[in-house]
Amino acid sequence: MLRKVLLILTLLFFALSLQAQDEKAVSFEMKLSKKKLGINERLRVEFVMNQDGDHFTPPEFKGFKVLMGPLQSISQSWVNGVRSYSKTYSYTLAPTARGKFTIGQATIEIKGKTYKSLAKQVEVTVAVDKPNDQMTVYDVADESLYLVAEVSKSKPYLNEGLSVVYKLYVAPTINVSNYTPLDNPKYNNFWSQDIPVTTRNVKNGTFKGKPFRYVVLKRVVLYPQKSGTLEIEPLSLEVTVDVPTNKRDFFGRKLYSQTNKTVSAGRRTINVKPLPEEGKPASFSGAVGNFDFEVTTSKTSLNASESLQAKVEVSGKGNLKLFQLPEPSLPSSLEVYDPEFDEKVRTNLSGTTGKVSNSYTIVPEFRGKYPIPPIVFSYFNPKTEKYESLSSEEIIINVVDGPTNNAVGNLPSATNRQSVVGTGDQFNFIKLTPDLTTIGTNHFIGSRRFWLWLLLPLLLIPIAILVRKKREAIADDVSGNKIRRANRLARKYLSTAKKAMGDKDSFYVALEKGLHNYLKAKLKIETAEFSKDKIAVLLNEKEVEPTTKDGFIGLLKNCEQARYSPFSQVQMQQDYNKASEVISYLDKQL
Amino acid sequence: MKQLVSILILFISISGFAQNDALFKQATAAYNAGEYDKAIENYSEILENGQHSAALYFNLGNSHYKLNQIAPSIYYYEKALLLKNNDSEILNNLSYARNMTIDAIETLPENTITEFYNKLIGLFSFNQWGYLAIVFMCLFVLLYIAFYYFNYARRKRIALISSILALLISLISIVFGFMAFNDYKADQPAIVFADEVIVKSEPNKRSQEVFRLHEGTKLQVSEELNDWTKIQIADGQTGWLNSEQIKLLKDF
Repeated sequence: MLRKVLLILTLLFFALSLQAQDEKAVSFEMKLSKKKLGINERLRVEFVMNQDGDHFTPPEFKGFKVLMGPLQSISQSWVNGVRSYSKTYSYTLAPTARGKFTIGQATIEIKGKTYKSLAKQVEVTVAVDKPNDQMTVYDVADESLYLVAEVSKSKPYLNEGLSVVYKLYVAPTINVSNYTPLDNPKYNNFWSQDIPVTTRNVKNGTFKGKPFRYVVLKRVVLYPQKSGTLEIEPLSLEVTVDVPTNKRDFFGRKLYSQTNKTVSAGRRTINVKPLPEEGKPASFSGAVGNFDFEVTTSKTSLNASESLQAKVEVSGKGNLKLFQLPEPSLPSSLEVYDPEFDEKVRTNLSGTTGKVSNSYTIVPEFRGKYPIPPIVFSYFNPKTEKYESLSSEEIIINVVDGPTNNAVGNLPSATNRQSVVGTGDQFNFIKLTPDLTTIGTNHFIGSRRFWLWLLLPLLLIPIAILVRKKREAIADDVSGNKIRRANRLARKYLSTAKKAMGDKDSFYVALEKGLHNYLKAKLKIETAEFSKDKIAVLLNEKEVEPTTKDGFIGLLKNCEQARYSPFSQVQMQQDYNKASEVISYLDKQL
Repeated sequence: MKQLVSILILFISISGFAQNDALFKQATAAYNAGEYDKAIENYSEILENGQHSAALYFNLGNSHYKLNQIAPSIYYYEKALLLKNNDSEILNNLSYARNMTIDAIETLPENTITEFYNKLIGLFSFNQWGYLAIVFMCLFVLLYIAFYYFNYARRKRIALISSILALLISLISIVFGFMAFNDYKADQPAIVFADEVIVKSEPNKRSQEVFRLHEGTKLQVSEELNDWTKIQIADGQTGWLNSEQIKLLKDF
């Protein structure tokens, strides 16, 4: 019972006190955090009332943007039996422009009555260095953590090396406790080489004029492979930071609150210049940098079927891994194996340095001299912005001993095992006999001389035919033949007699001698000492016609008689004719 | 007066020829002493005086070989071979010089008919074929006359048959001789003198590159247009190149 009474009493008390409060004056006002602020600062606007109200209508925040709000908060307290109450609508505003702005009236309905707050003026000035807002942990982290990509060259040449260094700048006020990369950038259209960061040393530096600590996170050397505008994708990190708050712990130390923050290095565009076309050497194969070029052989004098190494080497600084080494044009008679590629290249921030080389194994098969003609290596020097060409020296390989290459002629093979000349065919010495002739062409074939020599012999055939014809014609003529025959015999035996014609004695002596000579020649018998009878018998034996025999004997008689009797010139002629006639007849019959 | 002038000319030319022998001897001495440049100078002077020989070209080739000049050495060896075919010394040294060349060109295989034809025609030089034709023509004439004069049937027959044979051989020799002569005229070898020659598909600078040749390669020249020469290499490929980059072998 007593308890009930007590409860009623308390309720009554409450009601009384409430009533007492209600009787206090109603206030509704607008509070601004500041009257003058920088454009980068924030304005906090609070509408405070001491009685509970409804239907709150905020004013139009002209020149501001509502960042947060409305936030409603109610607080009640009793102090010494006095109840205080407040209800607050708060907004956080960010100015959008400079100038003076008026924040208009807000209205609230309290217990059926409408109250209005007073309008207030705010001045927005230029940005201030230190916005003295109450910064959130996030804001602090935002302002004291930066990821920066430092690019060494923004306008490189194609294939010219450039480096990108990613640095995380941390303000001294905050601590980084952890970070994880969210996205590793892909370097499209670049040849990239990562330089690993082994130790993360914290270094002191300045950023935007303020002292910062920084850590190098990543280093990359890039060689652009395309000309034009190229983009480097950003690197994003999720960083856990400890940000100090205004609160302090029991011992007066600042309390830290932890937050996660994503930072990314901005997108960087790189303008890659193409290599100039002007003066581009034919031997240019894409090397950009500064190089030295050398061609060496391990030996220059060797025996056939031994091997030697020819080394084509480029050393220096530049895109060593990105161009082809020039190939030597070696004599086809050398056996050349595929080259062995070797690179000793170091990559640091200034680019790749070192040397690359191709070594060719060469085996000469035959004896002789083999020149390795000069090789030209060209590169573009981005410092001088000019092409430069280096040429190697001509190297002569001397193959001292071995078989000769007799693919050219059909020479006796020197590879014969039994060959006495084991060294094969030597390079021959010069010839010592000049055998000089006048320069000029005189081809025999087709010349006039040739045709004359060829066709003139043919003329001999008609000539021979003519000769033969003539001879046959002569042979066919019988009587003429006789006379000619007689004449010929007479010429032979009676020539002395004919000379002596007219001188009777000597004529007949010669005639007689001539007749005997004839018989001597024909019968091989000396008849000068024979009598006429004996000669007659002799002729009979040879079966000579009687008329001829008589004629012959008659002539001999005449010769005898003529010595003793006068003979006329006419008779001499007759006897001579008769003698030649008789001889010719005799000749046929003997 | 005219006679005097002609005698004078004769005298000068004879003395010039005598001088050439002296130059040749000097060149030999220079070569043996290792002064190849001087030897080349002397040999060239002999050529300028209007005389040549296989030996002279061979020696020039040797001198250039010693100086590592690929193209001239091959050029002069080939020239020496034109004057003195199948000389073993020249062929041997030419093979040495050819070792220095860069191009490896496979020669087209000949079919059996052309091989046979070339062997047959190549039995003698065209001049030798000419002499052969004349000898057999004379033989024919003699045998024919003999046929005409012989009385006995058997002898007559033998003479006639052999005379016809001789005539046939003579005619064949003439034909072969002219074929060999035409081949000789059509054969226009040249040697590449430039370090590297780009052979184009057409005789102008715009046209495409067909292939490349290097110093010392032998090729056949077929046609010419302005500064360009159409060439064929041993594997049958053809193209055009700048006339200045090659040197014809048959310039005598």
